[in-house]
Amino acid sequence: MSTETPVKRNYREFIIPVLIVLGFSYLAILAKGAVFPFVLSAALAYILNPVINYFEVRGIKRLYAVIGLYLTVGALIFIIVYLLFHFLSFEIESLQQSWPSYADRIQQFVLNLNAKLVKNHPFMAGLKLTEKFAYALEAVPRLLLTLLPALTLLFVVPFITFFILLGGSDILDYLLDHVPSRHAEIILHIASRIDASLGNYLRGVITEAFIIFLIAFIGLILMDLNYSAFIAILIGFSSLVPYAGAFVGVVVSSIVAYLQFGKMLPIIQLLIFFTGIRFVDDWFLQPYIMKKAVKLNPAIILFALLAGWELAGIWGVIFSIPVTCIIKEVIQIGVELQETEFRWKPKPEPTRISIPYT
Amino acid sequence: MFKAIRLLNGLYDKGTLKKIDFLKSIRLFEGIKKRDLIHILENLQERTYLKGETIFTQGDIGRALFIVFSGKIALSRLDRETGHSEIIAEVQPGEFFGEMALLEEMPRTATVYALEETRVFMLFKIKLETLLFARPRIGVIIATQLAKIMSARLRAVLEKV
Repeated sequence: MSTETPVKRNYREFIIPVLIVLGFSYLAILAKGAVFPFVLSAALAYILNPVINYFEVRGIKRLYAVIGLYLTVGALIFIIVYLLFHFLSFEIESLQQSWPSYADRIQQFVLNLNAKLVKNHPFMAGLKLTEKFAYALEAVPRLLLTLLPALTLLFVVPFITFFILLGGSDILDYLLDHVPSRHAEIILHIASRIDASLGNYLRGVITEAFIIFLIAFIGLILMDLNYSAFIAILIGFSSLVPYAGAFVGVVVSSIVAYLQFGKMLPIIQLLIFFTGIRFVDDWFLQPYIMKKAVKLNPAIILFALLAGWELAGIWGVIFSIPVTCIIKEVIQIGVELQETEFRWKPKPEPTRISIPYT
Repeated sequence: MFKAIRLLNGLYDKGTLKKIDFLKSIRLFEGIKKRDLIHILENLQERTYLKGETIFTQGDIGRALFIVFSGKIALSRLDRETGHSEIIAEVQPGEFFGEMALLEEMPRTATVYALEETRVFMLFKIKLETLLFARPRIGVIIATQLAKIMSARLRAVLEKV
């Protein structure tokens, strides 16, 4: 006979967990500035965790796996930064030398454009384009200064990530060991599904961004465009946001090409090149790399990007697609659970075969 | 020399190596090479159930297979006519239950609870599907073993009848 006795549900048992969750949420809202690096670190730890798991299941202690990863990544970053500076220092030097003439040409271009527009459409004079442009040029250094605090994240985030990686899934395991045992299976099922879809998306998007960076780098070098290393890095990073890579590539490299060559032909070549990258991405990279990732409608992607921008600016844009993946998976699981657990749909019929076992 | 060996040994987590050896002894994974068992371990979830805790109840939708790593589990079934539940089996370390969940998301046919503090590994359907497609070599062996086990259980039922 079973020793089970039916447990009478008492809502008082949820008071303490709910109070803890509310308390933490309130604290997080009060100190949202401090929470941000932790969110970023948790995201980075989530991306790096499969590498640590790879070594852990092969018997290497987690501590050594994390230290090994940090040393390797550190050495790699050092080599890449050294090589980039080798490339970039030349490019920065040349930019420093040619900037005054570039600035003059940009200003001249805007003045000419404004004069033409005002001549043809007199009402455009009211828009005061030249004043606005001068203001924008003045604002650039100020904008760059506001980015400086973000540099501290470069040191804080890897530091926090190190300790999150060391802890591994301890916090999650602790929580799982303390949820009502009967619900552990369904909670782990939900976590596995979110992990599978989010993991596939992140792995896919990082691989895709790296391949686009390589294509852009080789293509721009072949076209003999100045600052190709810098532009390719910019394209690579912006490829992490859907549709942004090719757009950033076209805009930045067209400006550079105009300043460098002063002709339309290289700009047209660049437009063809980036349209090509877009097609390669849509037809070859995404079907192969992203085949296991969550499928999102382009309209939903656009909505997610705009909503992300509205909620949290540039970081909102970066996090919008992974968060949308989670939301989509949660909705799907929610619908499935409604159908199975709450019997919204009739029970599925088990497979039946008429011929008996022989 | 000994110092270097001790240092290398210090790098290894004996717990993980023990888990791999344990998986080698599971019938479901029979025939899978030790280096491939690593991929199975990667896809397993672990959880400890205290004595008396219910793991799942008869009628719940099944989503995972459970492998007992340590401790003891009881499987009980409710007789709808008499309203009494009876223990139909006890599961010892190295044995597993709930494999039907890997094939169909159907209601469980028994209630399962821990007879003592028990550590289990769970293999979820979604993780098995990932393994089947990403590593077909392992997937084929698991699918074959699963079919053999289901056949053996069916034969046991028929012989009982």
